[in-house]
Amino acid sequence: MEVNLTAGAVSRIISREVSTERDLKPLLQVIELKEVQTTSKNPQQQQEPRKSERYRLLLSDGSLTQQGMLATSKNELVKSSKLQVGSVVQLTQYLCNVIQDRMIVIIIELEVIVNKYDIIGKPVAAPRSSRLTQVPTDQPGAVMPQANSLGGSSVGGIMSDKLNTAGATLQQPTMNHWQGSSRLNESEQIRNPSANAPTFYPKTDPSAGFPGSSPTNRPFGVQSTGFNNTRPAASRPQSTSNFQSIPSYQQPSPMYSNRGAVSKNEAPPRIIPISALNPYQGRWTIKARVTAKGELRRYNNARGEGKVFSFDLLDSDGGEIRVTCFNAVVDQFYNQIEAGKIYLISRGSLKPAQKAFNHLNNEHEIFLDSTSTVQPCYEDDNRIPRQQFNFRTITDIEGMENNTMVDIIGVVSFISPAASIMRKNGMETQKRTLHLRDMSGRSVELTLWGSFCNAEGQKLQSLCDSGEFPVLAVKAGRVSEFNGKAVGSISTTQLFIDPDFPEAHRLKEWFVSTGRNTPAVSISRETSTVSRADDRKTLSQIKDEKLGTSEKPDWITVVARIAYIKLDNFCYTACPIMNGDRQCNKKVTNNGDGKWWCDKCDKAVDECDYRYIIQFQIHDHTGIIWVTAFQESGQDLMGVSAKDLYNLRYENQDDEKFMEITRQVMFNKYMFKLKVKEEIFSDEQRVKSTVVKVEKVNFSSDSRHLLDLIEKIKTNDLGPSASKAEFTTPNPGPDYAGVGIHGSRGIAPTASREYGLPVNQGGQYGNHYSGSRLRESAPSIDIFCNSCGVTGHSSTNCPTIMNGPLQSVGRDYSDRMYSGASVGRGSGTDFSSGGYGGIPSQQGIGLGCHELLV
Amino acid sequence: MQDMDISSPAAFVNGGLLRMHVGRKVRTVLQVTRSDIGSVMGRSTDGCQLVAKGSPPVPLTSYVEVIGVAENENTIRAELWTNFGDTFDASNYDKLCQLANGELKHLFL
Repeated sequence: MEVNLTAGAVSRIISREVSTERDLKPLLQVIELKEVQTTSKNPQQQQEPRKSERYRLLLSDGSLTQQGMLATSKNELVKSSKLQVGSVVQLTQYLCNVIQDRMIVIIIELEVIVNKYDIIGKPVAAPRSSRLTQVPTDQPGAVMPQANSLGGSSVGGIMSDKLNTAGATLQQPTMNHWQGSSRLNESEQIRNPSANAPTFYPKTDPSAGFPGSSPTNRPFGVQSTGFNNTRPAASRPQSTSNFQSIPSYQQPSPMYSNRGAVSKNEAPPRIIPISALNPYQGRWTIKARVTAKGELRRYNNARGEGKVFSFDLLDSDGGEIRVTCFNAVVDQFYNQIEAGKIYLISRGSLKPAQKAFNHLNNEHEIFLDSTSTVQPCYEDDNRIPRQQFNFRTITDIEGMENNTMVDIIGVVSFISPAASIMRKNGMETQKRTLHLRDMSGRSVELTLWGSFCNAEGQKLQSLCDSGEFPVLAVKAGRVSEFNGKAVGSISTTQLFIDPDFPEAHRLKEWFVSTGRNTPAVSISRETSTVSRADDRKTLSQIKDEKLGTSEKPDWITVVARIAYIKLDNFCYTACPIMNGDRQCNKKVTNNGDGKWWCDKCDKAVDECDYRYIIQFQIHDHTGIIWVTAFQESGQDLMGVSAKDLYNLRYENQDDEKFMEITRQVMFNKYMFKLKVKEEIFSDEQRVKSTVVKVEKVNFSSDSRHLLDLIEKIKTNDLGPSASKAEFTTPNPGPDYAGVGIHGSRGIAPTASREYGLPVNQGGQYGNHYSGSRLRESAPSIDIFCNSCGVTGHSSTNCPTIMNGPLQSVGRDYSDRMYSGASVGRGSGTDFSSGGYGGIPSQQGIGLGCHELLV
Repeated sequence: MQDMDISSPAAFVNGGLLRMHVGRKVRTVLQVTRSDIGSVMGRSTDGCQLVAKGSPPVPLTSYVEVIGVAENENTIRAELWTNFGDTFDASNYDKLCQLANGELKHLFL
């Protein structure tokens, strides 16, 4: 059957004479048919790029070919082979779009006239530019009239020459025909401000299917003057190739967006290394792994509320950069970004990095906006490392300046339990210290703040308690000059426990073989004068050790019972006026007329606030002292607010209820955190203790503490070690998960202060440790066990008594003389150094055992 | 309930120490694993399975202290039962047992 394709259809389409089916319903033949995967990037939804199957066709009118995209609704035709290469179709509903210099026909509806037919004619690719009406030389005739009708379109033709040769200036096209495309220009130009380049030099390669490819010459929008007058000569340069400028990614002109199926350039983006990013670059795409994902932070500034989050990227070349999102962009990307995953990111803007917060090695930072794209890469690229470190040795830290950021890796030789520290602004935070050692023979103190204490800190503690020496890698720790050099964690610090790095393995090997036993010099001076907040003391120690008499107050913890509460004046009238974000709280005096006068604020208030100031006596087995509790701790203690209590007593005269509340509090055992400070009180120096925190005793952990003390006392027999007391509690057995881990730990060599009951107090057991710290290891042979009557051990290490697997992990490097000698407990368990080293000579005993007798 | 002389102190024991006090008065805390008529099977604080004969209180909590006479190295004829609740620090108790039977024995018995 004879089929006649609509001659000249393609050129008419290209020349825009024909743009929809209303103009023409051409009969065309399918020369090529290809499936493409598109990710439709609708600016509205940048979340998940949709992958859809689309078919691209090359249509011919017998002489020229034209690219077309088939609407997905018609995919079925292709799948069922009704539509295939060679099919002759009639376009019954379509649109023509110019995309990146090329005319694309979007086919919405078509009719397949013939399924398969031999290719008609020798169609060649139509020229790419919409402006170009290049004429294939074999049909010059047909072109001319078109050229004329297009008028200015011919300018394009000439233009191509000119473009190739001369520099061109940007000029407003005068032809109406060009409006569409020129509008396209402008719209692109407007539309892509983020590209930061007035003329863009797009980097993407033209996608394979489009006919021809040409070296880039000019950006799209450039036109030359002077063409208006020239008319196309008969022979126009055939060069279809050299006009085409490399397509930049241009959105279809506004008139086409949101209308119908739009085909986009599916060219794979060119990925550039992060280190090559700069603000003057147009479009870029990077492929990198998220090494750190920051928290979502909300803030308030002059412009109102906002939220922000950042994440750090690392690519295969080792380049790193931080990416930040604000406000609405946060919502867009926050859930999408996962640490450790790889993403393709483009269309963000580059700005100089804020070195104060951004410690990455890059001068720039990326800011994403709503047009940015973040595309996850599902196949993991192993070329991109998970994390990049720049480990320094601990000796290097010594030479570093304060506040430098550093990555370090070391073996954890010691970790203290989490302690609550009061910050200057009154906020409490958690803190843990640990010591890291590395092959340089040095050790440094690492302080973990805040959430690190609970998460990684606890894990490290458990590992240490169970006898391991975990390797810890720190990324972005900050060097501080507190007592020598130390390293502290900041919000962007990352910790890796026992990581799988070669350095970690090396360290572990070193440690196991030699490091364990070599003493390390600490570059962080132990602060022996600063007592930590969780220092457990007895009340008598306050006096004995002269706590509070130094420049700074001492913070201690005691466990005691309340003996007496002074209830006459348990609160005072306080000024409620806010001074910034703190209440004034100064005592206000009654004006007489029902108002309250505050001296400090110089104002009178109608209603005063009531704040606690409770004085009470607490006692433990060693002594009794007066302490004062203010508002917060008072409220914690009493359980009711000061105002309520005041009203209860004075307004309502409800004495009974009042007494009931009080009675509940009295004689209970609490754990008090005290601030002890000496004050000069009218010529008299008095040591005053303020209750900073009060909580009910956790008997379980308190017992453990006492047991610990007992252990210490017992093993003191076996000789203390000189250096730090790193130790753990013996693990009673596998069945008791979670309970065996000891709470209080971390007795520094200055432990003497903690147990420094004078010797005469500990007389019950007749253990007088008079200075010589090291005792000879008792030879096993001479000992007779009282418990089981067998020689060779003492009752302390009688095998019949010590059942559970007692693993002590003595980490006292300098105490090697005890390794091997089974002085200590646990038959057959390793007790390399008397376990609880660090017991100084003076050792009081009264504490725990005394309690047992009670 | 048999009349029992509770005047002499009961030794704190765990599973392993029970055998040292066979025939004598002991006390221990068990984590109840099974409760039948006339006996309760429980895990001692050092992981041994012990049997406490007698009539446990109803209802029985997870941890119970029994005071009674040790019949053999894993049975106690319990006279006194005390519910200790559902949470209990077994390791502390175990250490107590060890201390109480070790060098500090004289403090207890």
